[in-house]
Amino acid sequence: MYVLGLDVGSASSKVVILDEDKNIVSSSVVQVGTGSSGPTRALDEALGKINLTLDDMDKIVATGYGRYAFERADKQISEISCHAKGIFHLIPTARTIIDIGGQDAKAIRLDSRGTVSQFFMNDKCAAGTGRFLEVMARVLEIKLEELADYDSRATEVVNVSSTCTVFAESEVISHLSNNIPKENIIAGIHASVASKACGLAYRTGLEDDIVMGGGVAQNAGVVRAISRELRRPVIVAPNPQITGALGAALFAYDEAKKH
Amino acid sequence: MNKVETILAELEAISKNPKKAMEDHKAKTGKGAVGVLPLYAPEEMIYATGYLPMGIWGATKKQILKAPTYLPAFACSIMQSIMEMEMEGVYDDLAAVVISSPCDTLKAFGQKWKGKSPVIQFVHSQNRDMEASNVFMVEEYKYVRKSLEDILNVTITDEAINEAIEVYNENRAVMRMFCDVAAMYPQVITPVKRHAVIKARQFMDKAENTKMVKELITELLAQPVVPFKGKKVVLTGIQAEPDEVLRIFEEFGIAVVADDLAQESRQFRTDVPSGKDPLYRLARQWQNITACSLAIDRDKPRGKYIVDLVKKYGADAVIICMMKFCDPEEYDYPILLEDFEKSNIRNLKIEIDQQSESFEQIRTRVQSFVEMM
Repeated sequence: MYVLGLDVGSASSKVVILDEDKNIVSSSVVQVGTGSSGPTRALDEALGKINLTLDDMDKIVATGYGRYAFERADKQISEISCHAKGIFHLIPTARTIIDIGGQDAKAIRLDSRGTVSQFFMNDKCAAGTGRFLEVMARVLEIKLEELADYDSRATEVVNVSSTCTVFAESEVISHLSNNIPKENIIAGIHASVASKACGLAYRTGLEDDIVMGGGVAQNAGVVRAISRELRRPVIVAPNPQITGALGAALFAYDEAKKH
Repeated sequence: MNKVETILAELEAISKNPKKAMEDHKAKTGKGAVGVLPLYAPEEMIYATGYLPMGIWGATKKQILKAPTYLPAFACSIMQSIMEMEMEGVYDDLAAVVISSPCDTLKAFGQKWKGKSPVIQFVHSQNRDMEASNVFMVEEYKYVRKSLEDILNVTITDEAINEAIEVYNENRAVMRMFCDVAAMYPQVITPVKRHAVIKARQFMDKAENTKMVKELITELLAQPVVPFKGKKVVLTGIQAEPDEVLRIFEEFGIAVVADDLAQESRQFRTDVPSGKDPLYRLARQWQNITACSLAIDRDKPRGKYIVDLVKKYGADAVIICMMKFCDPEEYDYPILLEDFEKSNIRNLKIEIDQQSESFEQIRTRVQSFVEMM
């Protein structure tokens, strides 16, 4: 038996395929999301690795911003439920999840059975999300994946105070023109992202273990900034970008077992 | 179409076309309408003149182009759309506009009306629990009365205001009854329909509205009560618009069984107290207002009030319809959250923006919330 979870986010498309024993037999991440070729490419890549087709899948669950755009899905489940399920499967001690994706940030509280008991999401604003980091990386002329390395070399954290991404961009440009080292500016950018996520996380009551998922969790600088702000250790979920797709695949597994 | 559907369609049509409601009133009575901005204006005084009090709560999906000339970007979307329409002359047919000042935006707004209609701005007292509040409010209402008399060239007698208060009190009681009956028939009175019935009240002669809603209640009660399989919620906030938000509730099997919305139940939660002096009666109604983000309440009873609604109506959860950039509501939110957590009441916050065209984030939140329940 095979089941598939597809997470069509705003900035990337992710697929996880599980076998009968809930082992991840294939996965893929394509860095373009809903409304693009991303979902198809992610599906082709994950299925191609194991020489299977969609017809070989017993159940398919779609999640993420573009979950209703994939017609082959048997069911659509929200990303909150899917991230929670995926992360709890990987880390059963997780009680607080901070998930930062391309255009939204979420803080989720889990009970001891892994059920979502409360969640908070950012309002419609790119501040504190992956998109914010993308914009800043472009201004700083470095690659997104280099942000964490730069942050680790920072000697101080520069204040990036603007809530608005556009204003924050101007603030960063102003810091650059004042010859402030990129490393310190990036540490400030990460602190800014952390402050938004922590604002949501504090509302959950912050029970340990605190686990981070979503694409931004791959950035060690943001994880450090969040841990520093919360004054607690923060565990990064293994392969954090696919935790939503994993959760979707686990829901698909449950569906398949029902029938 | 059965009788219930017919009445609902009529009320929905009125809720969607206030201009026609005003024109119909004019054709029938020869008198026009007076606009009433949120919140807690002494509408009875307008009603006593024979003019139609018309609620002004903005418009959905209105493209905001000119309003930023006079408003900061962080004024709420109700005020943004009202300003936009003021500047387009939408409200120029109104004989006057009454504006209270319960929040900073309204306080400033009343002083820079850009439409052609004369403005009557008044202020509510802050310290509401002392008799001085009534003395102050009576003086404010004397000013509103005199202004209406001058602008409309009418005399407003005490008797006429007292009669209007009785019409309004009866309407308030009927609206409260409608909300209770609507909670019994969530399959018929969907969130969109419930909102339309309550909204239509803003644009109608209250005596006519009472008659229609009474008939609706009678027709509803003649129908069998069918068990509801979805989730029941209490809404709180300023307003729950556009309809797309309410349709998302319907999509996920959510029924609204009670509300604490400023545009809805807060308008008819309490009756104007009895008495002889109509202005003093209206002044005391302001003391009656409780559990509202716009009225100072040292004990902050709103959370408890909503918790009690949840228990009374057997609701599964509360949905907080947070008006984007509404300071009073944002300040109340952490207190509400604490009260809900203490009472173990599930709650969800969604952001309300009248101008919104995209509802995917709300759909995600609502779907997650239903999955959680």
